[in-house]
Amino acid sequence: MLRMSLLATLAFSLCHTPVQAQMSHHQHASEAACEETTLRCASKVAPAFASDGTLWLAFMAGGHISVASSKDEGRSFSTPVQVTREKFTLDWGPDARPQIVIEKNGGIALAFSRFRDKAFNGQVLTTRSADGGQNFAEPQPITPSNESQRFVALGLDADGSVFAAWIDKRNRVPALEEGKKYEGAGLFFASSKDGGATYSETRLAADNTCECCRIGLAFASPGRPVVVFRNIFEGGVRDHAVMTFADPATPGEVRRVSNDDWQIAACPHHGPSLSISAAGTYHATWYTNGKARKGLFYARSQDEGHTFSDPIPLGRADRNPTRPYVLVGPHGTTMVWKEFDGEKTAVNAMISHDEGKSWSKPVAIATTTDTSDHPLLVSNGQKTFLSWMTKADGYRLLPIGDGS
Amino acid sequence: MSQIMKRLLLALIILIACLGEAPIAETPSGPALKPFVRGSWQEMLRAHAGRPTLVHFWGVTCGPCKVELPLLGQFMKDHSEVDVVMISADLVPNLDSATRAMLQKAGLASAENWIFSDGFVERLRFEIDPSWQGDIPRTLLIAPDGTVTTIEGSAEIPDLEKWSAQQKAAMR
Repeated sequence: MLRMSLLATLAFSLCHTPVQAQMSHHQHASEAACEETTLRCASKVAPAFASDGTLWLAFMAGGHISVASSKDEGRSFSTPVQVTREKFTLDWGPDARPQIVIEKNGGIALAFSRFRDKAFNGQVLTTRSADGGQNFAEPQPITPSNESQRFVALGLDADGSVFAAWIDKRNRVPALEEGKKYEGAGLFFASSKDGGATYSETRLAADNTCECCRIGLAFASPGRPVVVFRNIFEGGVRDHAVMTFADPATPGEVRRVSNDDWQIAACPHHGPSLSISAAGTYHATWYTNGKARKGLFYARSQDEGHTFSDPIPLGRADRNPTRPYVLVGPHGTTMVWKEFDGEKTAVNAMISHDEGKSWSKPVAIATTTDTSDHPLLVSNGQKTFLSWMTKADGYRLLPIGDGS
Repeated sequence: MSQIMKRLLLALIILIACLGEAPIAETPSGPALKPFVRGSWQEMLRAHAGRPTLVHFWGVTCGPCKVELPLLGQFMKDHSEVDVVMISADLVPNLDSATRAMLQKAGLASAENWIFSDGFVERLRFEIDPSWQGDIPRTLLIAPDGTVTTIEGSAEIPDLEKWSAQQKAAMR
């Protein structure tokens, strides 16, 4: 019988082996290094500098949104403050990310999205801290609508008001009820005059835009938000468009950034980035896989998006360049993107000192050997930094360029 | 105890041990999913070498995929000569139960079903196609001679029918 029980043990252990393997796969499959609510465990991180030079991060870790701050350019961080109380199913889509803006008086406005149900219908929630990030109000929906909302972008206007734009599917239901075909989702917006505590009534900027990509937000001048987004043009072509608002309540025309001719009934999960210089140059960067061009591209406009320069390609095509980001900083304009060589991911950067007319040679400024968040850029008014969360190496804040 | 009894008992123990195992017992509906990790792509290609194979990348959060999946289920039913391989390529955290339920509903439970199970998705995608950025749905039609035809976005069933007829003709 001893022999039998040994055999039984063996039988159980044989059958258990795949489970252990399965579990370790699940562990391994995570985008995050760990499951706690600390910065080290974050999968998505959004940076913003306060006017006093403090770096604030809003991040998604352990199923919560938290914030932490650094007074030494990212070398050390405060104990994180957890923003969400209940454990939501946060929007973990590749292009989803918490949004953070820091007001001049130190108030902090946040926005993020969660999945409301098992059908992945999203909801945009906002909250605010009036005490320098020590406490946050209970997150509230940005709009009373119960249709799916995702990919919120927040921007701080010159007068201290907060502008929000997001992707919203509310127009789909009435269209379908009338028997009409409805493609994509609407680009909706609202603004807040009280630092993100409450938002104005939601309004439509453009209908039938791509439903699964981040949007880029910047300001042409005080009170004039500009949004770049993947639109759905005639024939299901998912190319990029830009819209300059006349004021925070008045949307402008949809203007095409580039004629890439990417007709696709699919979710690219890969949205654009926009930054605008003091001289008014729009810098846009995006991904396409269109008939006209494939890969990452950059173009600039000096007439508020009426016309754009010929797109220039970014990165090495054989290294799968992804996730481009552009930011006008105090000493020029910087672009970053990721490349993958089969083993490691590198963030490449290049700089322009002439409003995007010419660019430095791309240089790899950071690498990692496991999964990583999108590379982002943030400026403190003196320097431009790469802000990059990596699973293997944690959070990184790296100054870019020589500052000249 | 006779040898036969011992063998029967042993068989019973192994059976109970394995039944009790059931890593998918908590969510019973739908087919088992093979974890797609580093090296799985080559493994899959080797296993289907010389046979017409339709590889479909999809995900539970992808709207167009929901429409296409039942059509692929019907295609598989009508074309036993084509190996159908479904790979859920939604980004982590992946949802096993939702994935299995959708496959079941679409008539794809008997397909070869995989699910991305490596957090380093850039590396997984690079092994499959260095130019693929993860957009889904995506279909690869692999001919017996290894020729790959890539369809980005939703596939048109008539195109699949045409391809499958070409494979049949080539094999004659």
